[in-house]
Amino acid sequence: MRKVKLGDNELEVDLTENEITFIKNNLERDPTITELGMFDVMWSEHCSYKSSRPKLKLFENAEENYDYVLAGPGQDAGVIDIGDGYCLAFRIESHNHPSAIEPYHGAATGIGGIIRDILCMGVRPIALLDPLRFGPLKNNPHSQWLLKYVVKGIADYGNCTGIPTIGGEVEFDKSFQNNCLVNVACIGLGTIEDFKHAPSRAYNPGDYVILMGGSTGRDGIHGVTFASRTLTEESEEDRPAVQIGDPFTKKLIIEATLEAIKTGYVRGLKDLGGGGLSCALSELTGDGGTGANIDFNKIFTREPGMNSFEVMLSESQERMAFIVKPEGLETILNVFKKYEIAHAVIGKTDDTKVLKVYDNKNSVVNLPAKALSESPTIQREEKRPDYLDDLLSQETPNTIKSVKDIVYELIASENICSKEWIYRQYDHEVGVRSIIKCGDGDSGILRIIGTNKFIAASVGANSKHCYLDPYNGAKGNLVEVCGNIIASGAKPMAMVNCCNFGNPEVPESFWYFSNSVNGMDDLCKKFRIPIVGGNVSFYNEDDVTHTAIKATPIVMIVGIIEGEENIITLPFKQTGNDILLIGETKPELGGSEYHSIIHNLEGGNPPIVDDEKINTTWNFIQELYKKKLVRANHDVNKGGFLITIAEMCFKNKLGANLDFKEINDEKMRIDEFLFSESVGRFILETESKDYTVIMNLAKKNNVNIDKIGILISEPKINIKGLITNDFSLDVEEMEKLYRFTVPNLMEI
Amino acid sequence: MNSFIVEIVMTLKSAARDPVAETIQRDLIAKKGYNMISNIRSGQYLKIDIEAEDMNSAKEIIIEMCNKLRIFNPVTQNLNILNVSKKNSREL
Amino acid sequence: MNIKIAVIQFPGSNCDLDTLYVLNNVMKIDAELVWHKQFDGSKFDGAVLPGGFSFGDYLRAGIIAAHSPAIDQARQMLNDDKPIIGTCNGFQILTEAQLLPGALLQNDSLKFICKWIRIRVDNNQTAFTNKMGLGDILDIPIAHGEGRYFTEKLKELEENNQIVFRYVNESGEAEENANPNGSLENIAGVCDLEQKCVGLMPHPERASETILSPEKTVHGKLFFSSMLNFIERNVK
Repeated sequence: MRKVKLGDNELEVDLTENEITFIKNNLERDPTITELGMFDVMWSEHCSYKSSRPKLKLFENAEENYDYVLAGPGQDAGVIDIGDGYCLAFRIESHNHPSAIEPYHGAATGIGGIIRDILCMGVRPIALLDPLRFGPLKNNPHSQWLLKYVVKGIADYGNCTGIPTIGGEVEFDKSFQNNCLVNVACIGLGTIEDFKHAPSRAYNPGDYVILMGGSTGRDGIHGVTFASRTLTEESEEDRPAVQIGDPFTKKLIIEATLEAIKTGYVRGLKDLGGGGLSCALSELTGDGGTGANIDFNKIFTREPGMNSFEVMLSESQERMAFIVKPEGLETILNVFKKYEIAHAVIGKTDDTKVLKVYDNKNSVVNLPAKALSESPTIQREEKRPDYLDDLLSQETPNTIKSVKDIVYELIASENICSKEWIYRQYDHEVGVRSIIKCGDGDSGILRIIGTNKFIAASVGANSKHCYLDPYNGAKGNLVEVCGNIIASGAKPMAMVNCCNFGNPEVPESFWYFSNSVNGMDDLCKKFRIPIVGGNVSFYNEDDVTHTAIKATPIVMIVGIIEGEENIITLPFKQTGNDILLIGETKPELGGSEYHSIIHNLEGGNPPIVDDEKINTTWNFIQELYKKKLVRANHDVNKGGFLITIAEMCFKNKLGANLDFKEINDEKMRIDEFLFSESVGRFILETESKDYTVIMNLAKKNNVNIDKIGILISEPKINIKGLITNDFSLDVEEMEKLYRFTVPNLMEI
Repeated sequence: MNSFIVEIVMTLKSAARDPVAETIQRDLIAKKGYNMISNIRSGQYLKIDIEAEDMNSAKEIIIEMCNKLRIFNPVTQNLNILNVSKKNSREL
Repeated sequence: MNIKIAVIQFPGSNCDLDTLYVLNNVMKIDAELVWHKQFDGSKFDGAVLPGGFSFGDYLRAGIIAAHSPAIDQARQMLNDDKPIIGTCNGFQILTEAQLLPGALLQNDSLKFICKWIRIRVDNNQTAFTNKMGLGDILDIPIAHGEGRYFTEKLKELEENNQIVFRYVNESGEAEENANPNGSLENIAGVCDLEQKCVGLMPHPERASETILSPEKTVHGKLFFSSMLNFIERNVK
């Protein structure tokens, strides 16, 4: 940080000397303190993406290359046409640093922010998903505290606004101990008509600019000293370090905004997030090619005596900026009045392409509208970390533990066990669209009332794999999340991502980011999955030890299922049915739960993605679906395929007789075979009468497939055909271990 | 007319279980070695600025309001006036 | 006869659209969303106060909505023998408005809970339970953070047959393990003295279609068919 003096005022900024010079040259004068504050916020990494933009240019233009993509990256949310006149908007964002300080409000305001982004596309938010990362829970009050309050924050906010949380995932690893990750995703549903009339930007001079929602206070303002008044340490203490959300106001905003948009008089719409009014106004006018004339005295405030700096940079929550056609002003104001939401007409757009804010006759802001959004980018260096070679060559030690004991330990481990403790706190049914309840499927599934279409959505990443190999790890994430969608009966349609990494100024951290982006790009291009949005969160790094979190490029995929009869669920259904393992198991224990839980190892060789094989596997499964041959499907991930099978047994208390005699690969050790986390595999339940048809189809498609057993009514998994003696796993005992890990850790 | 500050607290009746208080007592206090604390009751606190003739009428108006508008729920809660004080020009 | 039902919307109601959808599309009842300030009870034959977080649940769940003019309208409707049901937040509003006895407190676990449970019909004479069998077990979901029923007048309620539903296990027993929130005597729903006003924490609108129901039952519909039955009987 550096202190910049402007007249009698002083401001601490993160801007570099170069950036400050750039600004001065651009404006051909010194900026006012308010203007400098605006640049400081808008050109921060979080708002400007200055370190990541050069790399993200790699992604292809989704809108140009896919006819069903209606809005791509750069807009408030990605939007796709899903047929029958409907469109889906979705987006994912991070709120990591606030949540690490104040988990409840940090997570809640994260939800608040993502809802607003979806609203800006003119559609109703209908679902939330939350991928989270914490340090391990065991003997770790700090992580327990974070988990408890992050979940409560998401629950309270999501439940109050009436938006169901239908999915999510959580990983526990010590690299997240001091840098938890709270990513939040939201899906919105509307008609194509809604979207076409959706407000975008302020592209028309002469429109009214209206601020509505919560009032503007001093939230988020730090590091400034005014000639007239000092924001001393005392007053700093008074202000919460993290913004406080208000879900009730948000709910009113949702209803009022949707109603206002339906009138047709709303031309532009932007939520006030990071950077507050500065950001919203500059994006609306800058992207719209107009300017604006704003009277700062019209902005309604919560605290007396706020000056222009404080007002323009305030990050008070629950505020929206509307650009309204002049002839519709009264109609729109009446909508806001109906819902008793505070609002004020604060100015008008014009054709000057300059953003002007006046305090009576004094000009406090006079900036070209595009100036704030066109920050210079920075080329970062990348360097493969030196520690990787040693890590990757770590060998799996031998163990005296029996396979049975290992499986029991894994099923109870934090990264595998049931997360019911979390999702029971989320109202996942409001809206009467949620078809598959949490725990019954690999993805959340929502119906679209009035059609025969169902939305499948899933989110996730494997940080341990990405830590060892970000390129294959990022690809593997996509394979896994797509696998969740496919296992539910849908086809992946589009992706958004949230990149969580360390300090980009550290070449090793940037290397992780760069290779993750390469992986996502390659796989999406190969499988023709458009990337319609993304978010980057850097600086997730421990200040003291300078260790970064494990690379976490979270991806979210949505897909569509046509027809209720085509929805596939996870639990095994029927005694006597076949259990098939689809896909190739390779000795890839690097970054596996087996390595970390049983051997306390982080290294080894992680899963590599074979694009071709995955492609043929997915096509094969779709063909099985067409022929209606699949009774249950669960994609294989953490802990290996035995864990997958156990999970499928739980709900209906079934068991299995498994025999590996025919298929045990001589080259692999038992633990490699059973606990490898090779990506792109599925466990299917099929009827024995269809066995021949299925095998022929697999042969034709050149897909690796093995019948590994059949379902039995006794809740035991009986295993034979391995080098060890035959043994049995008790399904009910495993289910108890699976179910009680988190409650035992969290309920003291 | 004078300016007063009336502070009220609404606690759960003893017949109603108070899991908030129980949790604080059990999980926080008992664990961290404050065994000398035997009972906790939680409540909702309101601090009200009111113009009235004197302290007594300030108090009476608040009590009437809380009853009439059901600011507290008489089925589950007790209303207690914690404090009535004159408001100074300095912020409290 | 053309029966019209109002679904009253408060600022913060969440289940209003869900309830409207079930009434109109599943039950084929003529139902309308009415903004609380504009609610005129004389125009309707019955009303639903839906779930949600009216007024953010600020101060206490349901207290601010209880002061809405819509509640005076509801009171008048009950005087006119018209049935009113409050689900979840609607139940909370009706108790705060004193149209129903008792109060709802924070769940004893201090956590919000969303899951499918079972309730037993302990009074099938009310305007919303006359199509149910006494002792019937219904599959229905809950989703609330403040659902713990409390009263100091339990004896009165029992004597006046005002306890309508209790949380039960598979075998129909109102035991502790079946109680999701610590409610007194596992009480999930109650009615007024005249059995025309019913409130319950579970959500019948979420249990009216097989596609949403894990057990594939549609017990939610019985609430609304009972309501129709009551209205039709009363007209005669």
